[in-house]
Amino acid sequence: MNKFPILKIVITHLTSRKRQTIVSMLGVTFGITVFIFQAGVITGLQDFFIEKTINSTAHIEIFRDKNQKSPPILQKVYSENDTWITVPNIKSKNELPKLKRGLQIVDILESYPEVDGVSPSLSTQAIFKTGVADVSGIINGVDIRKENRLFDLEKDMVSGSIIRLETVNNGIILGSGLSESMGAELNDNITVVSPGGVALQMKVVGILETGLRELDNSRAYSSIRNTQKLMNVTGTYITDIKIKLKDVDQSGVLAKEFEARFTYTAEDWKQANEGIFSVFRIQNIVTYLVIISILLVSGFGIFNILSMMIYEKMNDIAILKSIGYTDVDIRNIFLLEALIIGFIGGFFGLIIGFMISWITSIIPTNIEGFVSSEYLNINFDPAFYLLAFLFGLVATGIAGYLPAKKASKIDPINIIRSQ
Amino acid sequence: MKTVLEAKQLNKYFTKPVEFHVLKDINLTIRSGEFASIIGPSGSGKSTLLYVLSSLDREYDGDVLFNGIELKSLPNHELAHLRNKSIGFIFQFHYLLADFTALDNVLLPGLKLGALTHEDLEEKAMQKLDLLGIADQAHKKINRLSGGQQQRVSIARALINEPRIIFCDEPTGNLDSKNAKTVFDTLKNLTREFDQTILMVTHDDAFSAETDRQIQLLDGKIIDETS
Repeated sequence: MNKFPILKIVITHLTSRKRQTIVSMLGVTFGITVFIFQAGVITGLQDFFIEKTINSTAHIEIFRDKNQKSPPILQKVYSENDTWITVPNIKSKNELPKLKRGLQIVDILESYPEVDGVSPSLSTQAIFKTGVADVSGIINGVDIRKENRLFDLEKDMVSGSIIRLETVNNGIILGSGLSESMGAELNDNITVVSPGGVALQMKVVGILETGLRELDNSRAYSSIRNTQKLMNVTGTYITDIKIKLKDVDQSGVLAKEFEARFTYTAEDWKQANEGIFSVFRIQNIVTYLVIISILLVSGFGIFNILSMMIYEKMNDIAILKSIGYTDVDIRNIFLLEALIIGFIGGFFGLIIGFMISWITSIIPTNIEGFVSSEYLNINFDPAFYLLAFLFGLVATGIAGYLPAKKASKIDPINIIRSQ
Repeated sequence: MKTVLEAKQLNKYFTKPVEFHVLKDINLTIRSGEFASIIGPSGSGKSTLLYVLSSLDREYDGDVLFNGIELKSLPNHELAHLRNKSIGFIFQFHYLLADFTALDNVLLPGLKLGALTHEDLEEKAMQKLDLLGIADQAHKKINRLSGGQQQRVSIARALINEPRIIFCDEPTGNLDSKNAKTVFDTLKNLTREFDQTILMVTHDDAFSAETDRQIQLLDGKIIDETS
């Protein structure tokens, strides 16, 4: 059949009621704009965070779980079924969180083909002091070359340089938040005190800013040797092994393998950041709920306007049917009207959504949350644009189908007789 | 002469607001080339009979055969095709699409039928408008035309697919006497010069007297047929 008259009728209907048409298009436009913008901001923030996290935490970290409670030794003698045992005030054996043969484990790990780099380290809580200010934080003893290879620390340095950690005796690199809160600047001398009571004079050789606030506020780097001195331990003592893989997606599988092989806890980066990921999941659910409700509202708008249009066009429907247009033709006319509204409204929604996202991404926002960034990181993934557009079309299609179906059922005799 | 339309033992009831027997045992045959009119006082069932015969109203008892096909048995899409190809309608109120031009209105049934290319169809539509003396109004919107002009556009639209029969429901009812005369003469002309079959409902005795045959209805019954 010739599609031309239907298209012509559709266009005439849409253009003869311009204001109605524009209002219903605006409904779709608004829905799609919010979809694009919200999805872009939320996932952009998440991507930014994940990227930062992947870059600044290990894919897998091997350490000894310090929270293991030793069971009362009496349990070995008396089985639980026969005897009740109460032992108050159980204290764990004084076991240092040392990785035994840690450096050998490092050698074994380096021989894995999947492993990109390995960095042994030890860390301890410490108090950082300059003058009267004292701030607590965590000091990491690292092989700075290996650590840099894993986390590209050099890129995040705001002043000083990482290599001075090797050349300057008692050098220390401070996180930006840490240095700010104690008022220390480059080349200042500070005192670091360990929980064991060892105090060391150290010289600030660099300041580091990753963008992850929690890390920047508490972390400091020093050489393995100096940290061992602080902790008052021998030269083979290490507490953590950080591993970067060639393929980050393998981290879960390999973590299990390492755990079984070395009998220490091996945690992959997703487990380590579990809390954040569950926040993301909730965030995503909320985002999609908002988007769906906006599209529902614009869907109802289209439904209303088309229902009204059909009421107004009763005469036209009766005429078209009496001159030989079929039920399907009539349905297609109104369905096509809905889809054109959805298509044009959606198209402008994409453009406006993109423009708002783009403007937002170039306005400096200087966010200081759990990430700090000068600009909002917005996701411009075309998949969102496609999804938003399809969503809009489906919503308008459904909203248009019901009144269109109703219109196709109109019997012309009822209209003609009532005149 | 060939039979176009035949009604056998046709009965029709209205159930709302109360049951009412509108058409009673109608037996009627319309032959090709006839110019027939249905006459009678208001409430005698003239329009109802026309709607039933013209396939618009399919709730009746008995048989209505169009070219030998019983209308009630037709599925919806075949009925639509039948109306498109073989039936033309002219109503008391013009029943044109108000947002379209006169030419577009005439084109609509032809485009649906799709038998001619768009150019040929447009030429044919212009011929019909010319025949009715309103070719100069072709590109005006319907609501810019006078009542008589609008009614002539509906005649052109009814003619575009060269239907077997044209049904007219009080085609002159809404017009002043001068325009009514023009419209009626046009219809009469079609039957005389183009052998067009027309069945017309009218309450104007002067016009019905000029048709080939008058079917007189009273209280839903055919009381007199003259030809």
